[in-house]
Amino acid sequence: MDPIAFIATALPLAEAAEEEGGGSFLVQPGIGLMIWTLVAFVITMLVLKRFAFPKITEALEERAGQVAKNIDESERRRAEAEEVLAEYRERLKEAREQADDIVARAKRAGDAAKAEATEEGKAKREELVAAARKDIDAETKRSLEQIRKEVADLTVLATEKVARKTLDSDDQKRLVEEALAEVDFSALSGEPSRN
Amino acid sequence: MSTKKKLLLVFGGYALLMIAIFLIFGSDGKNEEFQPQNEFKLDPWVDIHLGGIDLSINKAVLYIVLASVITCVSMVMIANRMKAKPNKTQMAVEVIYDVIRKQITNDNLNDKLAAKYFPFLATLFFFILFSNFIGLIPLPTNTEHPVHIFGMEVPSFALYAATANISIPLVLTLVVWVLYQAEGIRHHGFFKYLGTWLPAGLEDMNVFGRAAIFLIEAISQFVRLISLSVRLFANILAGHLLLLFMGGGLAVLLGLGALGVLTFPMAFAFYIFEIVIVAGLQAFIFSILTAIYLGEATSESH
Repeated sequence: MDPIAFIATALPLAEAAEEEGGGSFLVQPGIGLMIWTLVAFVITMLVLKRFAFPKITEALEERAGQVAKNIDESERRRAEAEEVLAEYRERLKEAREQADDIVARAKRAGDAAKAEATEEGKAKREELVAAARKDIDAETKRSLEQIRKEVADLTVLATEKVARKTLDSDDQKRLVEEALAEVDFSALSGEPSRN
Repeated sequence: MSTKKKLLLVFGGYALLMIAIFLIFGSDGKNEEFQPQNEFKLDPWVDIHLGGIDLSINKAVLYIVLASVITCVSMVMIANRMKAKPNKTQMAVEVIYDVIRKQITNDNLNDKLAAKYFPFLATLFFFILFSNFIGLIPLPTNTEHPVHIFGMEVPSFALYAATANISIPLVLTLVVWVLYQAEGIRHHGFFKYLGTWLPAGLEDMNVFGRAAIFLIEAISQFVRLISLSVRLFANILAGHLLLLFMGGGLAVLLGLGALGVLTFPMAFAFYIFEIVIVAGLQAFIFSILTAIYLGEATSESH
């Protein structure tokens, strides 16, 4: 059997025998039911309006407010944190600058101390060298004097031995002068010869 | 084995089962006694007649009262248990509530009207939604085919929906219609409001043309009475008829038990379709159209 044709015959919406068959009541509005519906609907609306909706709305708005507050709060905290961070960065920079400054100053002080020490050492050395040179000069001079005296004495002695006589003071003097004139002492004092 | 082969095997086996049942039980011939539409017939349970109006309590009245009570109790319970950290039920209600508040109410109405009509629109939505849901729960309301338990006549379990009766969507539609016309007249004044029915851009047209268009617009206003109510009524009725036929009605009518093998699984599919999509969708459509009509009646141009 064709099901579509069957449904068409099984649901005779209009033709319909009055009692059991027929479906015209499906589309026939009933006043009584409409009144019941209206009453039920109005009561439902009043109950919901009074007891349900305000609380739900309030809760939702409270939540929305809470969320907005939380967002604001976190925003504020973030800004604060950023501020603190910036401050710390600034301070760090300052500290670094100061450290650099200190190091530079220390270095400068060190350099100065070193230069001073070098200078001092140099001066001292020169002083010592000068003193040593003076000593050497003095010693040389003294040595020369001594050699000269020695030579003179030797000369006198040698001459006495050769001449078998004691030289008087005039002879002696003359001899010495002659001998000394022949000896070049300049080599001893390290100075270039004068003649 | 490929998926295609598996599917073929399943359907083949299923067809074989159907044929086997047909061979065993055969056909009882067409059943003339069973009238499926009588599932929706309203027999008065308690006769009440007041001043010529039949206020008898019947199945539909029971369903309406049930819908009303369940809507009130569940919404008030949910409202009283609103928590800062919502559970799943509260979350679902909040989502629906948000849809009603934003998409249905605030998108179509200005702030003043939205505040005024939100309770009405939300009640419409929840009332229709709960009506539709209750309509999908089997309740012992079928007095036409009672079951006899220990000699007592007990109504059998059946599906019925208040919204599958034209009276209920119709009266809700009438309320909506009267409300939005009244709101339009209050906002514009009577004649100016009728003037807004004419679409914009007809200023150059002659009088007869404008009159003709006004007539069409006026008819369309009255057609809304039918379209809004019948949309809800017909959707729910069709859904219930489908469930009735698929759930065995067709097999009984035709006396073909074998057909039941084919239709019964489809009843589940339609049931899920009805409860997940149709119930909520029709409630949403009814209330958003109400909001749109209200918004249109009070807007400056048509």
